[in-house]
Amino acid sequence: MSPKARVSGSVVAGFPSPAEQYQEPPLDLNELLVKRPAATYFVRVEGDSMVGAGIRDGDLLVVDRSLRPADGDVIIASVDGDFTVKTYRRDKSGLRLEPANPNYPVIRLRAGQELDYFGKVTSCIHRFAGNR
Amino acid sequence: MIGLVDGNNFFVSCERVFNRRLVGRPVAVLSNNDGCCISRSNEFKALGIPMGTPYFQLKGREASGELCFCSSNYELYGDMSRRIISILREEAVDVEQYSIDEAFIFPPTTAAADYVAYGRRVRAKILRWVGIPCGIGFAPTKTLAKIANHIGKKRPDGVFLMPDDPTEILSALPVQEVWGVGRRLPLKLRAERILTARQLRDAPDATIRSIGGVTLLRTAMELRGVPCHEERDYDTDPDSISCSRSFGEPATTAEALAESLAAYTAQAAAKLRRHGLLAAGCNIYAQVFASGGGGEFLGRTVVFPAPTDATNEMLRAIREEVNALYIEGTRYRKTGIVFFGLEKPGTPHQTDLFDDTPPAEQSRLYAAVDALNARYGKAKVFSAAQGLGARSWHMKRQKLSARPTTRWDELMTVT
Repeated sequence: MSPKARVSGSVVAGFPSPAEQYQEPPLDLNELLVKRPAATYFVRVEGDSMVGAGIRDGDLLVVDRSLRPADGDVIIASVDGDFTVKTYRRDKSGLRLEPANPNYPVIRLRAGQELDYFGKVTSCIHRFAGNR
Repeated sequence: MIGLVDGNNFFVSCERVFNRRLVGRPVAVLSNNDGCCISRSNEFKALGIPMGTPYFQLKGREASGELCFCSSNYELYGDMSRRIISILREEAVDVEQYSIDEAFIFPPTTAAADYVAYGRRVRAKILRWVGIPCGIGFAPTKTLAKIANHIGKKRPDGVFLMPDDPTEILSALPVQEVWGVGRRLPLKLRAERILTARQLRDAPDATIRSIGGVTLLRTAMELRGVPCHEERDYDTDPDSISCSRSFGEPATTAEALAESLAAYTAQAAAKLRRHGLLAAGCNIYAQVFASGGGGEFLGRTVVFPAPTDATNEMLRAIREEVNALYIEGTRYRKTGIVFFGLEKPGTPHQTDLFDDTPPAEQSRLYAAVDALNARYGKAKVFSAAQGLGARSWHMKRQKLSARPTTRWDELMTVT
């Protein structure tokens, strides 16, 4: 939703700049990571339950609420009032949320219990120590 | 056809998106300075606690765990409102934001075959993308769309299309509940035996005019299905302190954008003072010109350091955000401002001094004040209402939730 600066060619008297026709807008990470601003939220990871999936403590996740979850997606959901990031699994044995760390249990939904889905994680931004 | 979209229990619904423990519980959001209940969940309403109940009367029931309260988090509500408006912009030909949680939409011609289906689709999209349940009402006029919205909100699918002949619905609707009639006229209307919306619709024009002038006649015309409400009419409606205009010619300069927003801020602030209200903040927006109508909305939410009705304080608060709306080389269709967090001040204040100053003089006054401040240092000249000496008071928001969509250091955490 934030307005992006767009560079447009300026009009000058005299000879046109030879670079003029090659001017383009600079690369913008928002354009790459945020396809639907109205549905996109940023959340912060706490803990190492998804470390095996490359999601570490302190990482920033880009979450798109407009996307429906499919088997194997990394999603955000609320379990007993707290938000968690896990891999969404849906197969014959039912619906479950899997961590990517053997130290954490798989969360299984009881029969009739509905998943309190928040959104699908589309990117993980990991900043190296000293650059935060 | 016109649609009115509004968020159900909007502030509470915003809180629930990021705090799932509030789901299913009696929750209320408090006014500025944690004064009284201004938004209530259905569970809270079911307990029979009315809107406006002072917080201190309910603290015992909070301590016992029965009730939940949140301070008003306008940073969050403003952002969620902008998200909804941008979705509506994608789905409708035009959007007029009426307040922080209400907007009129003009559906595309493709929706005409089945407005209810269209409304359900828009509602589902907002619910999924933003997490806010909405009510949507469709009718040929804005006044009828408001009524359709109230009916829609009570239905499971949230959507209602006003029937071609709304007589039955208007017969059951007390006249004071009609948009634009409000609390001012019921006595006079009663004297003329106009008690329902239907009776207002069917009264002779001369009678209506003698009771409420041309404004009330317009309302009656709208009930008859004749559109009379221009966007500018919101300026006279105390329920919405907002101001917006389309440019005659698309605007292309940062100056034009800034000047228009400053002018609307001054107008809307004058209206606040006329009604004796303070605002906690505002949404400002600019719509990009697109030849086929529509056009992207760029918006910013500004929360004032403290609730205010002083134009110069508002202008100071929005200045930077106005600049952020400008993109070089873009043509703008319109700009606007919507205030939120409106309240009567708890203590007497002095800005009413300026109430009778005509807008032009007022802007000259504030321009002079700003010029003096620019020359002699910040806040050398200010209105007495700002208080003398350093400002140490801020809005009290002791139960404020995080601002997960506008602050990097207040993001929602996931484990």
